[in-house]
Amino acid sequence: MRVVLSNSAGAPLYQQIKEQVGTAILSGELAEGSALPSVRALARDLRISIITTTRAYTELAAEGFIATVPGKGAYVLPLDSALVREQLLRQVEDGLQTALDAARRGGLDRDDLIRILDGLIQAEQQETIQ
Amino acid sequence: MTATARMAMLDLRTVAPYRYYGLGVFALGVLVFASKPIWFVPALVLMFTAQIAPYPFSVADKAGLETLYAVLPVPRRAVVYGHYAWAVAIFLATATVGTGLALLIARIQDVPFGGRVVVTMLTLSWALFAINVAIQFPLLIRFGYTRVSVLGTSMPLALVLGVVYRMRITVASMQSWLPLIGVAALAVFVASAAVATAVDGRRVRHGWNRRTD
Amino acid sequence: MSSDLAFALRGVGAAVGRKFALRDVSFELPTGYVMGLIGANGAGKTTIIRCLLGMREIDTGEIELLGHRVPGPSDLRQDIGVVLDHAFLVGDWRLTDVERVLRPFYPRWDGARYRQLLDEFGIELRAKVKELSRGMSMKLMIAVALSHQARLLLFDEPTSGLDPVARDELAGIIGDFLTDEGHSVLFSTHITADLDRIGDYVTLVHNGRVVRTGAKDEILDAYRVVRGGPEDLGGLVGVELIGARHTSTGAQALVRTEEADLLGGRVLVEAPTLEEIAVHIGARAPHPKPLSTGRTA
Repeated sequence: MRVVLSNSAGAPLYQQIKEQVGTAILSGELAEGSALPSVRALARDLRISIITTTRAYTELAAEGFIATVPGKGAYVLPLDSALVREQLLRQVEDGLQTALDAARRGGLDRDDLIRILDGLIQAEQQETIQ
Repeated sequence: MTATARMAMLDLRTVAPYRYYGLGVFALGVLVFASKPIWFVPALVLMFTAQIAPYPFSVADKAGLETLYAVLPVPRRAVVYGHYAWAVAIFLATATVGTGLALLIARIQDVPFGGRVVVTMLTLSWALFAINVAIQFPLLIRFGYTRVSVLGTSMPLALVLGVVYRMRITVASMQSWLPLIGVAALAVFVASAAVATAVDGRRVRHGWNRRTD
Repeated sequence: MSSDLAFALRGVGAAVGRKFALRDVSFELPTGYVMGLIGANGAGKTTIIRCLLGMREIDTGEIELLGHRVPGPSDLRQDIGVVLDHAFLVGDWRLTDVERVLRPFYPRWDGARYRQLLDEFGIELRAKVKELSRGMSMKLMIAVALSHQARLLLFDEPTSGLDPVARDELAGIIGDFLTDEGHSVLFSTHITADLDRIGDYVTLVHNGRVVRTGAKDEILDAYRVVRGGPEDLGGLVGVELIGARHTSTGAQALVRTEEADLLGGRVLVEAPTLEEIAVHIGARAPHPKPLSTGRTA
């Protein structure tokens, strides 16, 4: 399992762990059923506090990504398509909100936004063809 | 082994790195007093115990062992009693070896050395040792070796020697007093241990007992 | 007595003559975590540890240690390891002598573990205690504590005088020790950097009182560092400037997070580090009104 923490990233450490593990699970990098290190082993390896790793795992478990076994560690739960969909939907929403905020600051209107979106989709399609 | 015995062993191991110094003192004592086989044992015991019995306090002071004593899983009382037990062990070893040597020297010098002499000298040795330690140890425990130091270890010695000299003791004159001397010395020794335990609590309170204190 | 607490101090007071070394000290550590005890030299950290060990009597309050009321049975210290910045052993003892000396006191002594740890720490068995560097002395005391299967480690200023590499190694050793959830650590220091990452709980001590205690993240969240021009931080109602520092070019202080909003737009508000919290609280006048004492989570 790969977790790389940044001291300068704005996000708190527990959130970085959550995101990286979550991403790895969604992408299939961390297969269903694979074991994760215990919160304590992870804290030791990352040289951070146990409360931080516990919080990351707790939130991952609450969102249905992993299940924790007291005293043994945690393992990855099977990807629930509804769960995946919900996560991805949230990512799309966040991304679009960010774009919207920037557009407002830049004085762009709805048509401008749609034009940019079409352009991006087209570019991606061309990439796929190539 | 009880906690007290373990602490006495700790005292032994505390001075173990310096055993050659101890043997040197012993050898010196043997040489100095070899000419007087009858008074050999008391003199040796007094000299040896005055120097060696308080030695763990000296090492402990420099090494900060008071912290170790506080951290070890032993009752506080065992620390104090352990020091006294160590002293008794030193006394027994010195008295035993010393008596053997005294008999040997007496044989060589053709000096009569019967059972009565042995008992008298051992009792006298015990009394000298007990009084010496009884005075020294509470002072050492209360004030620490550095503050009590040479004065504290040699003054009781000088005191006792002075008293003995003035009293002009002979083997014969002491016979009827022996039981009293023996028991009184024991009582003083035990009382000293009780006093030491009482003053010990106050000493521990000042810092981790580092050299800089 | 709850056994899920490594220790608890409740209303502890200790006086030296008429002066108070500790006053109304209350904090606790749940088993399985590491707590940083932070404060300036002389703030009372060492006194707290000595009271915990039963080395010093307290005048008021009570102390619970590993489920026992202090002073508890002397056997309690089988489970406790104490690590200072110096080894409290005879300098002329070799490390083999150290084992011989200590073994009789600890029925659970694991000789193989002792040797293995010394090997891991790079300390020679034949070395004498006085030959060890500061960092190695500290590691020796840790090896001793781990060899008798201590489950509570008390560190008192272990890193003063240590280089950053040694301090980082210590963080690793502590992390390793805590992989067992029955183990706990109290780490008293004035170097907050040591605890920035690995600290679970923090207790801030100032002039013998507990200023704040609780989960480290909560404490970091409870304060903000505010910086502004020379006049920006003056005369504000409802805002207490903690340990304010004024210079010709500006001013800096610590404020409670909920009061930070009252400060207005010209002031820069940032999340503090443990060090900034400790520094500003330490810079306060001796008897200010006490800050709220939090609870451990």
